[in-house]
Amino acid sequence: MAISQTDTDTSNNSDGRSGAPGFILSRLEDWARESSLWPVTFGLACCAIEMMAMSASRFDVARFGSELFRASPRQADLMIVAGRVSQKMAPVLREVYDQMPEPKWVIAMGDCASCSGVFNNYALIQGVDKIVPVDVYVPGCPPTPDALLDSLIKLKEQVAANSSNRHGARTAAGVGIVHDGIARS
Amino acid sequence: MAVDSLEGVFAPERITATADGIPTVGVPLAELLETIERVRGELGYSRFVDLTAVDRLRREERFELVYLFYSMTQKAWLRVKTATDGEAPSLTPSVAGANWYEREVFDLFGISFEGHPDLRRIMLPDAWQGHPLRRTEPLGSEPVDFTVTRRVYGND
Amino acid sequence: MATTEDRRELLTVNMGPQHPSTHGVLRLELKLDGEVVVNCRPIIGYLHTGIEKTFEAKTYVQGVVLTDRMDYLNPLGNNLAFALSVEKLCGCEIPGRATVLRVILAELTRLSSHLMFIGSMALDLGASSPFLYCFREREKILDFFEGISGARMMTSFIRPGGLAHNVEQAMADRISAFVEAMPGFIDTYEELLTGNPIFKERTEGIGMLTADDALALAVTGPTLRGSGVALDMRKTNPYCGYEAYDFEVPTGRVGDCFDRYLVRVAEMRESVKLIRQALDRLPGGPVQTSDRKVMPPPREELAKSMEAVIHHFKLWTEGIRPAPGEAYVGIESPRGEIGFYVVSDGSGRPIRVHERAPSFANLQALPRMTEGGLVADVVACIASIDPIMGEVDR
Repeated sequence: MAISQTDTDTSNNSDGRSGAPGFILSRLEDWARESSLWPVTFGLACCAIEMMAMSASRFDVARFGSELFRASPRQADLMIVAGRVSQKMAPVLREVYDQMPEPKWVIAMGDCASCSGVFNNYALIQGVDKIVPVDVYVPGCPPTPDALLDSLIKLKEQVAANSSNRHGARTAAGVGIVHDGIARS
Repeated sequence: MAVDSLEGVFAPERITATADGIPTVGVPLAELLETIERVRGELGYSRFVDLTAVDRLRREERFELVYLFYSMTQKAWLRVKTATDGEAPSLTPSVAGANWYEREVFDLFGISFEGHPDLRRIMLPDAWQGHPLRRTEPLGSEPVDFTVTRRVYGND
Repeated sequence: MATTEDRRELLTVNMGPQHPSTHGVLRLELKLDGEVVVNCRPIIGYLHTGIEKTFEAKTYVQGVVLTDRMDYLNPLGNNLAFALSVEKLCGCEIPGRATVLRVILAELTRLSSHLMFIGSMALDLGASSPFLYCFREREKILDFFEGISGARMMTSFIRPGGLAHNVEQAMADRISAFVEAMPGFIDTYEELLTGNPIFKERTEGIGMLTADDALALAVTGPTLRGSGVALDMRKTNPYCGYEAYDFEVPTGRVGDCFDRYLVRVAEMRESVKLIRQALDRLPGGPVQTSDRKVMPPPREELAKSMEAVIHHFKLWTEGIRPAPGEAYVGIESPRGEIGFYVVSDGSGRPIRVHERAPSFANLQALPRMTEGGLVADVVACIASIDPIMGEVDR
């Protein structure tokens, strides 16, 4: 079970294309983007193991188009933050996120990425949405691969609905992180 | 080696029995390295297993350093303990495996090891202030936003 | 006199912490002279979770939940190490069925961890099929854990005083059927990798670690046994009745990556033997200690006995209160010697819990293995140590 944050602004054809051909192109673009969301390898801790299990043959994320985990963030459009984010790792996470080209999405996998889970202490960032805008939160410690697949499907629905208008995702804590990277509360 | 057989080697008041049956020798800081050398050489507990610290919150010599060694021949552990206020001699020059353990104790407790080749923080970022595992430092938890506590924390 | 050929600049390359082959968030600073690694400096701490500090704020049963997440490929083993230390402090007796089930669960966890090792080592070196086959078997083991405890990975099932609850015979029969088929699967992995010339080329003679170096660097587990030292806590300091089981401790000959791989594959076969023997001698009976200061009374007793109600109340409000003191029990995890040094002051919360994490010491051997070798072999060396950053950084 995953909770998704949908965009408030869902205007179609906002990418400036006009008329029926423009509409078809937008739909094609959305379909292409949602069918091949390539995650960047960002497995941090225990959730990474379940993410690997998701990409193995039983749960098989390949049938959803996301089998190709790209090591380079330049080639990826999805970041699944799988695991707890420590103080030392937070700037690294932000840098990898910044290196990803637009449009990009973030799944906060697991309790630690969503809200630091069991570890409410000095060492962890209390929820990865404090530093990157999150589109889908997946509860669980760790979430089963089924749950992660469910979150991926929810994300695909979001992407298919409106992939070119990506900005302004609101976070669960109520902090709006604007696209230019400055967190404003 | 059972606790009683250590009595010939160390003064009896320094030996304590613990619930796990591991003989434990307490020595003052000045005798630490010498004791460890004896333990590793003469007594045969050559394999270094673990080093950690415990914050006993005493007024003097607040931290307890706990070293754990293992004898490959006797197949048993032995513990060496000492107390310090914040400084200790480093074991790294003689036991290469103690390197990161001492860095960790330095990082989390603030105990500096004299003679360590590279005493820097290991777990926390380099610019971190404070030594979190000291019991005087808070856990650092933040209030969690539940609806039942909103009135308490004033978020409502 | 230095000529231009003599002056070589070293290239500093940063590997990680976000890297597909570093087995987690490990950062390496490599100084290269061409392709040769001159200096390898591991930088850890990217997964520091403050678990040891968090233990001090939790009761002992809550602490079990934290232990799962340290070495997250050996959750039941961590639970077991912690439970053994706390049981030493409490001084309680564990019933026979719980002890044998602990062996079965610990060995199943060892199997699942080594399956992950083979899969990820092969994947790191370029072989993608063994990963899928290993995960197929790993899923079967995780299904057992889910059927027994409700969770695939973080089961928190082995607790101070026994197990969380009993395991049914039907589950034991399913595990029995699985271990009958397992040696065949291990043969499949060996067929794919052990005789494979590409795999051997990438692992034989790579990452040499002598026994003396390994012992000096506090290395334990298959990494140490690969160098020829037959140190296995299950044999030297048996716990949970391991002295009564018939199994061997495989060791390597030269201490290269291939030896460490072979040791783990052989250990998988030994684990299968252990599970078979344990299932054969699984007795009936309870799985929790009768010491009511450690484990709660059964619910039926609460209606009949005032003492049971008081014990229940004390356990739920204050938790287990072991005697003041300290305890450490070193057991054998898939990575080496693991133990929890628990210091109690008699209250419901420990004043210090420290995990002796095997990967923390094993990673200290990485510079020794990689310096002087090629940069492409660094991946093979890391994979052969099989570190888990969750327990390295805690």
